[in-house]
Amino acid sequence: MSALGILLRKELHATFTSPIAYAVATVFLLVTGYTFSLTLFFTKVANLTYIFHQMYVLLILLAPVITMRTFAEERKADTLELLLTSPVREVWIVLAKFLAQLTLVAGLLAGSGAYAVILGRYGEPDWAPIYGGYLALLLLGSLLVAIGILASSLTENQVVAATCALGLGLMLWFADSASYMLPAPLDVVAINLSLIGHFTTFVNGSLFLSDAGYYLTLSLLALFLTTRVVMDR
Amino acid sequence: MTQSPQPPSDAIVALEGVSKRYGRVAAVSDVTLVVQRGEVLGLLGPNGSGKTTLLRMLTGYLTPTAGRLVVAGFDTERQPMEARRRIGYVPESLPLYGHMRVREFLWFIARLRGLPRTAATAALDQIVERVRLGDVASAPIRTLSRGYRQRVAIAQGLVHGPEILVLDEPTNGLDPRQIIETRSLIRELAGERTIIMSSHILSEVEKVADRVAILLRGRLLAVRSMADTPNLEELFLSLT
Repeated sequence: MSALGILLRKELHATFTSPIAYAVATVFLLVTGYTFSLTLFFTKVANLTYIFHQMYVLLILLAPVITMRTFAEERKADTLELLLTSPVREVWIVLAKFLAQLTLVAGLLAGSGAYAVILGRYGEPDWAPIYGGYLALLLLGSLLVAIGILASSLTENQVVAATCALGLGLMLWFADSASYMLPAPLDVVAINLSLIGHFTTFVNGSLFLSDAGYYLTLSLLALFLTTRVVMDR
Repeated sequence: MTQSPQPPSDAIVALEGVSKRYGRVAAVSDVTLVVQRGEVLGLLGPNGSGKTTLLRMLTGYLTPTAGRLVVAGFDTERQPMEARRRIGYVPESLPLYGHMRVREFLWFIARLRGLPRTAATAALDQIVERVRLGDVASAPIRTLSRGYRQRVAIAQGLVHGPEILVLDEPTNGLDPRQIIETRSLIRELAGERTIIMSSHILSEVEKVADRVAILLRGRLLAVRSMADTPNLEELFLSLT
């Protein structure tokens, strides 16, 4: 097994033996399940758009909770010293943490897949927006996890890490609002930085490479910065 | 001291002009030192003298601001992975994953430090017996006493069979019995590998080390053989 595999196994073990994972999963599935039931009951329309938008908000709120311990806890307990004095490149340490937390996010989304199954069983939903919505949520989850890990790498205080990650996530959500106050071409930059702008197209069933590229580029940037933070010592 | 950074045949660690600065504060200043293969070197100095910083640079946790470190012929900056493979490190704070069981933790460390699966299994059995962890091998680390945690920390430093063992204040916080046990373990290991240990306690270094390096305010003041130092206390007071 490669160094990444060994580290990933350890991170998955730490993630799924922590009560945080189960608390987050319970909240996520309870809230989305409640909304799904109500929406279906009142509208009788086989579509998940409302749920996807709610999941978008929930991920912004819950991703910092999922990721806050990744580096902060290791720094506080000095176990980072064990990892960083082992013959392992820093990038593998960062990637293992990222993939483990993304697995948890993917697990949450998979759990919510039950709603799509119910729609498919009892109705005739348009599947394109559903596939698009799940892809968008996975890409959004990837970016939020990468941001959370970056925040966690900067401090040994988990609450500070979660707060900073939440702040960054909210700023990205509302980035397009700043475009009204900014001169060209900065207004375009602000619009293109917005999380929601790149999310809505997927949920409407349209797939643009530029939207996927946005999430992937920012995720990679956050992971690169995290690696630099960990290497700077 | 102006020894070459390239270790002579019987030298295993060489530091040349090593410094670490944090802004204007120098934690370690211009340290040059050679450690011989198989010896126990004691780094002696009061708290804040730069011992931990020096050990952290040696193990690759910190990067020196200036100077060069060579471990078993490998430059710690140019060939960090090769250098790290040859070192076992037991930090003062005993960093361990509390949620893991002892065997699980040692298995993780052995695999992380490059041992293949079968070799890791054999090394694990050997180290559990060597450090006398058999009674608690299946226990979660968070339930262990300080003495057992110290043994687990030493076991993780040894499990991959490193040529050099680095111990930062290895008897800190232990009761008298545990101190005696740790000392005797270090002496047992001394014949097999090179040991570099830090301590702020004179008697600790006196009882365990073959040579002593005295640090004060980040500077290396002297390196002496214990055989040629009948009274370490006197030497320490005369230098500081």
